[in-house]
Amino acid sequence: MSTTATQTAPPTRSRKRGPKSLNAGQGRRGVLLVTPTLILLAVVIMYPLVRAVIMSFQKDSGLDPATGMFSEGGFAGTQNYQHWLLQQCAAAGGTTQPCPPGTLGSQFYDALFVTLFFTVVTVFFEIGLGLWFATIMNRTFKGRGLVRAAILIPWAIPTAVTAKLWFFIFAYEGIANKLLGGVGIKPLLWTGDAWPARFAVIIADVWKTTPFMALLILAGLQLISSDVYEAAQIDGASKWQTFTRITLPLIKVPLMVAILFRTLDVLRIYDLPAILTNGGGGSGHATTTLSILVINQIRAGFNSASALSTLVFLLIAFVAFIFVRFLGADVVQRPPGKEAAKRRWFRRQPVAAEGE
Amino acid sequence: MSTTTRQDTGVAPGGEQRARSGAVTHAKPPRSGMLLSLLAWVVGLLFALPVFWMVLTSFHSEADAATNPPSVFAPLSLEGYRTFFGSDPWPALLNSLTASVLSTVLVLVLAFPAAYALSIRPVRKWTDVMFFFLSTKMLPVVAGILPLYLFAQKAHLLDNIWWLILLYTTMNLPIAVWMLRSFLAEVSVEMLEAAEVDGASLSRTLREIVAPVVMPGIASAALICFIFSWNELLLARVLTSTVAATSPVYLTGFVTSQGLFLAKVCAASLVVSLPVLAAGFAAQDKLVQGLSMGAVK
Repeated sequence: MSTTATQTAPPTRSRKRGPKSLNAGQGRRGVLLVTPTLILLAVVIMYPLVRAVIMSFQKDSGLDPATGMFSEGGFAGTQNYQHWLLQQCAAAGGTTQPCPPGTLGSQFYDALFVTLFFTVVTVFFEIGLGLWFATIMNRTFKGRGLVRAAILIPWAIPTAVTAKLWFFIFAYEGIANKLLGGVGIKPLLWTGDAWPARFAVIIADVWKTTPFMALLILAGLQLISSDVYEAAQIDGASKWQTFTRITLPLIKVPLMVAILFRTLDVLRIYDLPAILTNGGGGSGHATTTLSILVINQIRAGFNSASALSTLVFLLIAFVAFIFVRFLGADVVQRPPGKEAAKRRWFRRQPVAAEGE
Repeated sequence: MSTTTRQDTGVAPGGEQRARSGAVTHAKPPRSGMLLSLLAWVVGLLFALPVFWMVLTSFHSEADAATNPPSVFAPLSLEGYRTFFGSDPWPALLNSLTASVLSTVLVLVLAFPAAYALSIRPVRKWTDVMFFFLSTKMLPVVAGILPLYLFAQKAHLLDNIWWLILLYTTMNLPIAVWMLRSFLAEVSVEMLEAAEVDGASLSRTLREIVAPVVMPGIASAALICFIFSWNELLLARVLTSTVAATSPVYLTGFVTSQGLFLAKVCAASLVVSLPVLAAGFAAQDKLVQGLSMGAVK
C-alpha cells in the first residue's frame, strides 16, 4: 500500500529507485521464489471459495417437508439464494412460503442491517477518536513510550478475552450500570435488550481497535516534516487550516488504507458479538451479524449456509470494490501509485518540493 | 470522503488543546507540556483501565471479586489461578504455542523469498501478484469454513493441530509478504550490485546483505503473525474439539463452565493473554512500524 510510499521514501532516497527497476524481470528464479506462496494461497483460499459457490447451488439433503421422505439433495438452482434474498422457505407441497418469524431465514435482513450498522458506527468512531489520539500523541511528552505500549494492550489481547471482560463490565450489577447509576440513569439490560446490546458490542469494539488506529495514524503523522508546519505558521495559517490543508492531505493514503481494512474487518465481525451477547439481545438476534448467522445456519443445512456465505463474500467484495473505485487506486495499487503518489505529495508540500 | 468531515467533531478538541498549549508555550513552557502529558496519560489510562481491573480481580478471592465497586485493597489470593491451572489447561496452551510458533516459522520461510522476488528483483506482473495477496484479505473466514471443515472430515484432519498450522500459515502469508516487501524495498541496491560483481550466490546475498537490513521487518512480521495465530478463535473453534483445541477455545469452554466466577475467569483470561501481551510490550515500536508498513488489521 502507498503507506510505504509516504513512510519509507524520504525525498533523498528516490534517486535510488532508478537502477533498481533496471533489474526488473529477473525471470525464472524470481517466479520460483513466489510460486510456493501463490500455490498455497490458491489452494487453501481459492478452493474453499469455489467449493462454497458450487455447494450453494445444491439442495440440502434431509427430510423433505413436502413429502416427509428423506431427499438426497441434488441441483437446487437459485433456490438457496431465493431463500435468503426473497425470504422464501420450503413449505408443504413442494412450494415455498415467506419464512416464518423466528427461523434463521427470516433473520437475513436483520443480520445485514446489524452488520452494516456496526461497520458504519465503529469505523466512524475509531477514525474520529483515532485521529484525535494520534494528534495528542504526536507531541512529545514524558512517558510517551509507556502510553503507547499501554494503549496497545486492548488490541493485543485475544478477542475472546475482550468479549468476556466487557461482558462483566456490562453485567446487570456490573461497573457500567454502576457508573450510569452515579449520574442518575436507571440500570440497563446491556446484554439483554436490543439497542443496549448493540451498543455494548460497539463500545467494546471501539475500545479494542481505536488505540490501534491511533498508532497507525501516528506513524503517518510522524513522517510529516516539522518544516511544513513552520512554513504554515509563518504564512499565518490557523490550527484548523493547518489540520485540514496540511495534515489530512498528507496522511490521506495511510488513513484510507486503515479505513479500508477496518471496514472489511468489521463486515466479517464474529467473535465479539458471539461471545459478548451470544448474538442475542432484544428479540433474540439483535446482535446476530452475517458471520454469526452463517455459523448458526451450518448446523441447519450446509448448502444454504454456503449460499449465505457466498452472499457475505459478494457484499465484502462489493464494498472493497467501491472503496478502490471511489477513494482512488492509491489504496490498493501501491506499485504504480507509489511513484505517482510520492510526486503528488511533494508537489503539495512546498518545502519538500524545494528540497528535491 | 465523508470521514474527513465526520471526524471534525472528534478532532476539534485536540486542535483547541494544541492551540491553547501552543499559545501558552511562549509564556510558561513547563505548564503546556504538563497539560498535554496529562491528557495523553488520561487517554492511555482510560484504555488500560479495564485490563488493570481484570488483573486486580484475578488476584482476588471470589467473594472480593464480586463486590461492586471493586474492592481495590482486598487481600490478594491465588485461588483463581489455582482453579484454572487445576483444570489442566496445559494441552491447550501447548497447542496454541505449537500452532503459533510453527505457522509463524512457515510464514517467514515462504514469505521472505516471495517478498524478495517482488521487491528487489521484481518479476513481471508483480503488481497483479501483490493485488492477489491483498484480495485474499477480503475473504470472510466464514465463506470458506464449511468446505475447510468438510475437507478435513474426509482427510481425517479434524481436531488435528497440523491442519490449523497450515490454515494459520495461509491466513498470515499475505500480510507478511506485504510487510516484508516494504522493508526489503529499503535494501541498498549498490550493495546488491557489489555482491553480484563479486560473484556471491543468491543464498549468500540473502543471508549476508539482505537479512541484516530487514531484520527489524522480519521481527515485526513474526510478532504480528504470532499474535494473530495465538488469538484466532473462529477456525479453531470449528475445526478442533478436544485434542487440538487452542487456548482461546479452551478459554471459551472454561468460561462456559466457570462463567459466574469472576476471579477464575479473569485469571484464565490473563494467562491466555500473557504471551501476546509480553510479546507486544517487549516490541511495541517494531510492532507499530511493521503494522503501518503492512497497513493491516
